[in-house]
Amino acid sequence: MTHHPLCAVLAACAAMAALPAFAVTEAEVADTYADIAEAGYADSLTTARALDVAIDALLAAPSQDALDAARAAWLAARVPYQQTEVFRFGNPIVDDWEGRVNAWPLDEGLIDYVDAAYGGAEDNDFATLNVIAHPNFTLSGADVDAGAITPALIAETLHEADGIESNVASGYHAIEFLLWGQDLHGTGAGAGERPWTDYAAEGCTNGNCDRRGQYLKAASTLLISDLEEMAANWAEGGAARAAVTDDPAAGLRAMLTGMGSLSYGEQAGERMKLGLMLNDPEEEHDCFSDNTHNSHYYDGLGIRNVYLGRYARVDGTEVSGPSLSELVAARAPEVDTELKLRLDDTMGAMTALKGAAEGGMAYDQMLAADNLEGERLITAAIDGLVAQTETIERAVTALKLDAIAFEGSDSLDNPNAVFQ
Amino acid sequence: MKTLLALALMAAPALADTAAAVNTRIGPGYQRFAATTATLADAAGDTCARDVLIPLFNDAFDAWIAVAHIRIGPVEDAGRGLAIAFWPDTRGTGKRVLDELTQGTAPLDGFERQSVAARGLFALERLLYDPAYSSARGCDVIVAASEDLARMAAAILEEWYPFAGLMLSAGTAENHRFLTREEATQAIYTQIVTGLAFNADMRLGRPMGSFDHPRPERAEARLSQRSLRNLRLSLAAIEADALSLKPDIPRTFKAMEKARRFADRMDDADFAGVADPAGRLKLEILRQQLLAVSDAVEDEIGGALGVGTGFNAADGD
Repeated sequence: MTHHPLCAVLAACAAMAALPAFAVTEAEVADTYADIAEAGYADSLTTARALDVAIDALLAAPSQDALDAARAAWLAARVPYQQTEVFRFGNPIVDDWEGRVNAWPLDEGLIDYVDAAYGGAEDNDFATLNVIAHPNFTLSGADVDAGAITPALIAETLHEADGIESNVASGYHAIEFLLWGQDLHGTGAGAGERPWTDYAAEGCTNGNCDRRGQYLKAASTLLISDLEEMAANWAEGGAARAAVTDDPAAGLRAMLTGMGSLSYGEQAGERMKLGLMLNDPEEEHDCFSDNTHNSHYYDGLGIRNVYLGRYARVDGTEVSGPSLSELVAARAPEVDTELKLRLDDTMGAMTALKGAAEGGMAYDQMLAADNLEGERLITAAIDGLVAQTETIERAVTALKLDAIAFEGSDSLDNPNAVFQ
Repeated sequence: MKTLLALALMAAPALADTAAAVNTRIGPGYQRFAATTATLADAAGDTCARDVLIPLFNDAFDAWIAVAHIRIGPVEDAGRGLAIAFWPDTRGTGKRVLDELTQGTAPLDGFERQSVAARGLFALERLLYDPAYSSARGCDVIVAASEDLARMAAAILEEWYPFAGLMLSAGTAENHRFLTREEATQAIYTQIVTGLAFNADMRLGRPMGSFDHPRPERAEARLSQRSLRNLRLSLAAIEADALSLKPDIPRTFKAMEKARRFADRMDDADFAGVADPAGRLKLEILRQQLLAVSDAVEDEIGGALGVGTGFNAADGD
């Protein structure tokens, strides 16, 4: 990297003069990005439909095997979805929608029975509403008829009830809770242990098995319709695709904003450091199923996918194309080298974390105050994410995207557009 | 040639005085924080009398607010920023862990390994102001938490200087943290922008809740009646940081002055007034004024210096 400002300008000018000789263009890179998003949401939809089939089977003939199959389908559905999280922060269409499918953490007592020791968010009057047990209740002064638990009831009445974010009634984590139940092991071994008989017609445990089944089916139906909406947004002619391909510079900003915001504020901060510093298993992303290691791993992978311009689909095929990496390499090869290295470092740390979890030390066990090995594993992943964020900022500078923001019209309408 | 000139103009920004922000603002800020927390810890070792400790606690809190928006360097190591001021505590973890600690008999050594919700200023606030913690054991926890806080403040101060050295030598060949001068400028600038957003979205936004459901109970530091005080002190500190980074920012100064005057006229120490529409409107107005400050900052500092806001802890949801 050159250090004199004028040299930097000249280098950039020289690079821009050489533009036609570039192997990749901004427009091509934005196209690849949209293609990966399209494939990721399509895969999320396919696997959510498979989950729905497994849920139907569980409700038709409840058994331990059927519950296990539904849990396996949920875990499989998380693999492509987590890789799409990188599309959130840079794309308002995704960010506005995301709370419906992946909101977290939740006051699960809104939905179903919970342990007596359960504590919800501050001042949440509905933290123990338990809709499954109560067909009628009052919400913000209005009587609610929850006699039939429908997708509309969940989406329009229950979700974020009373304006409280932790009233999560829909999405992956609501379904996760209904399949696993609360994890009452704290930072000890073991995940949620909901018995399959919670869905049994005869020998129903914990009451209201029919309503619990209704809720699970409605939440699953809603997840599918939400994912259909987002998959369409990224397909040819979709609004999210258009937003990043009609103006490729906006597309590049969305890519880097998503990568940086997910790496730093969301993943390293909110999801990992906070839980570690609180030693609180409630701060675990997939707290019912103990699948948090995979959530983090596939989030990290999604970030790298966007940079490298390739995504391995659930059917084993690959979507790839001209990449952001190639574009950065053409302007600032040292930034590209550093970023690839740091993305790989993070994935190395995530792989170690995943390996340890699969070897028997679940993520919530890693959060225990006296688990130094767990702390080391999580800290390594956090450090990797923080370091890659520094280089993502360098990539923004190398591509002159910060300057563009001050020139572009959207900066006048929304001065915060670049990095929010 | 015309293009080249335009590019040169665009990329040859006004100079930022990163050194002024680093040397006259942040360094002295950490000195004051270390000194006030050491005084508090010393006093807590001698007495548990609230009339002695509470003023010292407030001195330390004042000192923290002056640098609280700086989230780069040693304050980010070992989760210190979270441990010093864990707020908002949306799940009530602080109360739960402090109840366990004060009702228990386990030794309090190794306090730095406690949950961040039971450490730092907000734990001390609860211990000092809530009579439920007035037991002898409560005093032991106050001692442990004060020492822990002072230890963190001392460590930040000590480690700040090498980090400041990196900021000041930004762009030199051996500096691998800040590869250009702009990177160091951007780092400070990001703290200013993020700090303003924190005041607008959190300090004001949380108690404001929605029009139909204001949330006075969510105001920061209600127990110590510091909600408005923290906001005022934070704005003053951020303004001083901005002026040190770039003195010629008339629009920012004017917008800030408007917000400051408005905040000075407010008489609602813990924002309890949000519960009624007239009181809530005041917070709403102040919030709008802060957004105007942010606009001015992004234009006069970010735009003029040619730096964008970097990534920050508020990027998540």
